[in-house]
Amino acid sequence: MSTHNDTQLLSPSLLGRLERMELVSRKVFRGRMKGERKSKRKGQSVEFHDFRNYVAGDDLRLIDWNLYARLDQLFLKLFQEEEDLHFYALIDASESMNFGTPTKLHVAKQLAAALGYVGLCRADRVSVQALGPMGRQAPALRGRASLWKMLNYLESVDSGENVSLFEGVKDFSLRNSGTGVAVLISDLMDKEGYESALRMLIGRRMDVFVMHVLSPEEIDPPIRGDRRLIDVEDGDSAEITLNNYALQKYQETVKSFIGSIKQFCAKRSIAYLPVRTETPVELIVTKYLRERGVVR
Amino acid sequence: MSFVPALTNLWAFLLLALVPVGIIVLYFLKLKREPVEVPSTYLWSKTIEDLHVNSLLQRLRRSLLLLLQLLAVLIALIALLRPGYRGESTGQDRTVFLIDNSASMQTVDRNETLSRFEKAKLLILDKIEAMADSDSAMIISFNDRSETVQAFTTDRARLRDSLNRVTITNHSTDILGALKAADGLANPRRSSEIADVNDVQVADAKPADLLIYSDGRFQTVTEFNLGNLRAEYIAMGTSDVENLAITAFSTERNAERPTEVQAFATIENFGNSSVSTTATLSMNGQLLDAEAVQLDAGEQTGLSFEIETEDAATLNLALDHEDDLEIDNIAYTGLSPLRNVSILVITPGNTPLKVGLQTEKTAKICNASFFAPSYLQTEDYKKRAANGTDDLIIYDTCSPAEMPATNTFFIGALPPPTSLKSAGNSNAANPLQAISNDTAVPSLEQAKTQAASGPPTEAGPPAVSSTSDAAPQLAADPNATDGPDMNWRWASPESSVALIDIERSHPLMRYLELFSLLIFSGRGVDGPPGTVDLVGADVGAILAIAPRDGFQDMVLGFEIISRDEEGAPVTNTNWYAERSWPVFLLNVLRYLAGAADATGAPSYRPGETVRVRLENAITSPNVSRIGGASVDVTAGPGGSLEVIETEIPGNYRVEDGSKLADLFAINLFDPQESEIATVKEIDIGYESVTSGDMTVEQRQEFWRWALIAMLGLIAAEWLVYSRRVA
Repeated sequence: MSTHNDTQLLSPSLLGRLERMELVSRKVFRGRMKGERKSKRKGQSVEFHDFRNYVAGDDLRLIDWNLYARLDQLFLKLFQEEEDLHFYALIDASESMNFGTPTKLHVAKQLAAALGYVGLCRADRVSVQALGPMGRQAPALRGRASLWKMLNYLESVDSGENVSLFEGVKDFSLRNSGTGVAVLISDLMDKEGYESALRMLIGRRMDVFVMHVLSPEEIDPPIRGDRRLIDVEDGDSAEITLNNYALQKYQETVKSFIGSIKQFCAKRSIAYLPVRTETPVELIVTKYLRERGVVR
Repeated sequence: MSFVPALTNLWAFLLLALVPVGIIVLYFLKLKREPVEVPSTYLWSKTIEDLHVNSLLQRLRRSLLLLLQLLAVLIALIALLRPGYRGESTGQDRTVFLIDNSASMQTVDRNETLSRFEKAKLLILDKIEAMADSDSAMIISFNDRSETVQAFTTDRARLRDSLNRVTITNHSTDILGALKAADGLANPRRSSEIADVNDVQVADAKPADLLIYSDGRFQTVTEFNLGNLRAEYIAMGTSDVENLAITAFSTERNAERPTEVQAFATIENFGNSSVSTTATLSMNGQLLDAEAVQLDAGEQTGLSFEIETEDAATLNLALDHEDDLEIDNIAYTGLSPLRNVSILVITPGNTPLKVGLQTEKTAKICNASFFAPSYLQTEDYKKRAANGTDDLIIYDTCSPAEMPATNTFFIGALPPPTSLKSAGNSNAANPLQAISNDTAVPSLEQAKTQAASGPPTEAGPPAVSSTSDAAPQLAADPNATDGPDMNWRWASPESSVALIDIERSHPLMRYLELFSLLIFSGRGVDGPPGTVDLVGADVGAILAIAPRDGFQDMVLGFEIISRDEEGAPVTNTNWYAERSWPVFLLNVLRYLAGAADATGAPSYRPGETVRVRLENAITSPNVSRIGGASVDVTAGPGGSLEVIETEIPGNYRVEDGSKLADLFAINLFDPQESEIATVKEIDIGYESVTSGDMTVEQRQEFWRWALIAMLGLIAAEWLVYSRRVA
């Protein structure tokens, strides 16, 4: 059942390229399980970290016998622990995301799937979830084999989760206490504002990425004349006469909106990436995300 | 540049001025906005807030649609103001339009599609359109009568409506009435004599322009002074015309052979070129005859047609030629139906005669009243006879003292001698009178005797003998032979009669076969000069007819019913049993009583009131034009009927139920109207008015261009709108 949708979300060629990628975290977090990343914890990786004096009770296997032979003192050789990374892809599944061709939600799902797969390939703990009630059903995944689970979940995500960005993020934060990389994929068009939501993610010491999805119809609306604009989320309407002047005004508003987000993100070390839906996901992941340091 | 507002009402313009305001209001209150779903109004509301910050005017300035709409309305308003460039002023601010709507104005000149009348109307309309607000005008139409269609007014709409009401007629032309109507205000009359020095003018003279739209085909007006009227003659049409016209068309029955009808027509060429065509005669709508006509310019010719018909008929003569004026290319006439005649019969009793006058066919045309010979003595009879109330008096075996003023038919009796009368007041006539009274009127004596004593006497033979005696006396009298002998005489003694000859060509003898007649006793008659012997027998003429002062007297030499010795009626002939008897009586009614009118139906001009005299018996006749609708009319006292609706040329029938009572025709027959070449100069009073420039100065109007521009703007607005919405 999912074959069609799978290929829709991620093409085989993209999967192949994603397998060679790796999620980048600008911070080092403590993982829960053994992984492929450096951890704050000292562990049993091959990468030497430090020595310390032996204390009774230490694991004898960690004693550096070569040093004992030379100095006749017991030292423990400490290695950098390699742990897994917690990767969260948060998809805004509000009604407004169901807009454009392809829809913003679809693009968001593709992005989430792509990033999630990168994480899965690197044995990270991946959780791709929609904001709102749907997010509670999202499974935490690990290992390449979990790709299908992730895709199935993504497939089940539908627009209509009309929770505000803040509520959705708050709900996510309460459920997931750990730190990690959080990628918020949203159009950020929340009448209550996006700021509080981002602040909350930063407050949880997450390494936050914002992927701002916008359709070309939003940036340059093709409508003209006397129209009554109806908000698909809350049914709110606004009457406007769309002449060139009004459109110009609107585009200025969009520009300043994006500018304000950029500024907000820059101040808080949030990586911001505007995404236009008409841009192919392959290009976004392999080029733009790499440029922004989300993956490498 | 001047403006002639199409709307004269201030309120209308105020209302129009509200239109742009309404558009702007509607622009803001546009209720019908097309709903469009957007992901979020978040950014839009911010934009709208920004837009609201801008001033209202700024928003208007940027709306091309509104701008175009307002511009379109503005141009429409300008169009309503009717901007235009006016050629020249007419001088006076009062104008009288005289429009000729006579028959000749129906002419459609060569290379034209409109008639002269329609062109005149358009020219007047142009003048009306070019009038300033303060100008007033009046419209008078004229043909043979004039009508003030619209009195002086400044209201152009009323002038236009009034002008539209003027229609073309088939009438002839007389301009005088129209000039007098126009004259009224321009040249006010004085209250009394012209020479009265104390007299003051009763009103101020109001000079006016008098514009005459006509082809000038009317009689020169001499008794009229233009005074304060400044006349201008606008000649309609050209002098290069083509018109072949029938100017006369009538029919007449041959008096001797009433079934033969002759139709005469006069055809005249009023055009500038020779014409060759055919004239087609139709009777009762069926083609009857045709004749070629070739006429040079200005020539005329007569046509005659021979037709055989006994009944009433309608005829029309049409020229198979298309020319500038159609109305005179066809002419109508009719043959009158049999009249209803009144017959007075003085008879002691004659059943065959009574029955013969009451057959189905005779009863239709005859109204007979029967009286005994004693009636001759009454005042009533004398009055009737003197007035000629009856169309025919039949004296059966009796004779009056004096001949009545009508046609007579004597059966077995002779008319009283009239030579006395013709001899005038001669005293020498007295003995003759006595002689004739005693001798020549035996039948009267006989009747008197019969009336008095009842049994008939031997009146016949003595009368015959006395007549035969008297005849030589009269013939021998040298005094009586001064003038022609106007008396009737018996030509032979009474004897049995054998018929020899019949004058078959005479209308009275038509269709008669008399050789099987048996006549037991009869005498030949000898009439005054001019007598026509209708039936000849071995005893001489047995039936003869003679004229008398415009009347006709017919004498039959034998009785139909005789009296035997006991006074009982006995038949003297078997004629009453023959078929020829009712036929003969019918002929008598037709041609002696005058039921068959020899002349054709009269013709009248269009619009003339036609007076038709009907028999008293017809109470509710109806009049119809052949091919037109029927109108019920009521006959006036004395059977006179006035038909007013005679505008259209054609044959008109007056009918009583299904019976045709009378016929008349309406024809133009007016050479003045048929002469359609336009007159260049007309004379009014002492002034002669030359035709002005044919091209009437027209106001150049721009409103059409304004409307086109408005339509263009609306189209552009629509284009912009649809581009935005699409």
